[in-house]
Amino acid sequence: MTHILDDYAVLSPLRYKNNWLKLAIVTFGILTGVSSSSPCVPFVIALCMGFATVRFGKISAGFYLRLLAAPAGFVLVSAVIIAFFFGEGAKLFSLGVWGLTLGVSEAGLNMALLVLARTLGGMSCLFFLSLTTPMIELFSVLKATGFPDSFIEIAMMMYRYIFVFLEVAMGVKYAQTVRLGYRDFRTSFRSMVMLGSNLFIRSWEQGEKLYVSMNARCYDGKLILLDEKRPVKLPEVVLTIAYFALVVTVYYFSRGMFIV
Amino acid sequence: MHIFEGFLPSPWWQIWFVISIPVIMYGMYQLNRLVSKKREIVPLLAVAGAFIFVLSSLKLPSVTGSSSHPTGTGMAAILFGPAITSVLSVIVLLYQALFLAHGGLTTLGANVASMGIIGPFVAFIFYKAASKAGMNFYLNVFLATAIADWVTYVVTSLQLALAFPAPEGGVMASFVAFGTVFATTQVPLAMMEGALTALIMKYVVQIKSDVLVDLNVLTSSAVTKLKETMQ
Repeated sequence: MTHILDDYAVLSPLRYKNNWLKLAIVTFGILTGVSSSSPCVPFVIALCMGFATVRFGKISAGFYLRLLAAPAGFVLVSAVIIAFFFGEGAKLFSLGVWGLTLGVSEAGLNMALLVLARTLGGMSCLFFLSLTTPMIELFSVLKATGFPDSFIEIAMMMYRYIFVFLEVAMGVKYAQTVRLGYRDFRTSFRSMVMLGSNLFIRSWEQGEKLYVSMNARCYDGKLILLDEKRPVKLPEVVLTIAYFALVVTVYYFSRGMFIV
Repeated sequence: MHIFEGFLPSPWWQIWFVISIPVIMYGMYQLNRLVSKKREIVPLLAVAGAFIFVLSSLKLPSVTGSSSHPTGTGMAAILFGPAITSVLSVIVLLYQALFLAHGGLTTLGANVASMGIIGPFVAFIFYKAASKAGMNFYLNVFLATAIADWVTYVVTSLQLALAFPAPEGGVMASFVAFGTVFATTQVPLAMMEGALTALIMKYVVQIKSDVLVDLNVLTSSAVTKLKETMQ
């Protein structure tokens, strides 16, 4: 884990677009996706968001697909459970395991597909946000929404230190790997313990130093952020409205429509 | 055990937000009180949160070959108590959703409820009760961390079961289904993380035990006793 998604967001050409517009697009997609009753809607959302991320965000398609595969393990297992347990009536197919008959009914399969599509749609919206908007841009949004100051302060400092510790952790891990520290289960466990405890002690000392250094620079419990003004341009508005209209149309015409 | 974006259908993700938000508000109130008393706590908590994030992004060595990550919530609960852990976990879960694609935004409420509130709370109660009863510190940390993971996974299974009840047998049947399937990865994972945290604590006691005394995790007499048994 040497790269986190934020690294891609910092380099993204969409970084300098209006934050509120991007948030509106993402929120709209997530909410309509999760409340739709047909798998078509989240699927369309996933296509649009995927296209926007790859085309406008200049993310390589292979990398994007690999990202989407990350939640696949959890989602597939859960979807299979839903397919088998959800819904009654005529079974599409069934199989006997240890004297039990397990069957997948039409309703169950539809439900599983719907959940699968919703997760796909939701994750693609989330990826659009996290691959185009670095966290630094979102702090001013957080400030505007009225979260308590101490919460945002902690979030900001945590953000900074995630990178510091990731680098330390990767360095240590690399050094351990070179010395065959992850040779087998026993040694990797031992290395992991050393890495974790060193990281804890180091982070604690870092925290104390941070307090001293911030105090020395007159920290009084408030970090001031410069909120850059980024006007929304006309083509962006037109594209967003077209996207919203497409999703709403699909939503309207696909009510209660299922694939199976 | 993160629930991914879009997985929970409509009434349920709102319900879990409604459950989590009051607890988080209480946690923030506690945090603000603590900050006004001890200002140095802000950088320390931030650094601790970053530590939890980095710990949770490391891959645990696993026997089955599946990718598994520690949650770090049990450790946070032992160190900072459940109220502050809930606030820290909101930030950590948000960052995990945005940076690592673990979890999601609509499911944030459900994930905070299971990983940030209920799991750490139970672990904290267990830790306090067991240390009062005089249990060995390392065993206690091991059990408390493992329990935090297990409770988290039980709550997640329950959340999934409530959202997708089976028509025959209802919530209970699908709870058992989700529970047994996830148990295969979660039970050994929790034990791994428990052992990891207990050993980390052992190093911390050896090298920087004053931190644990400051945080009220151990009394100074307990620390000296632990150090004596080590020699």
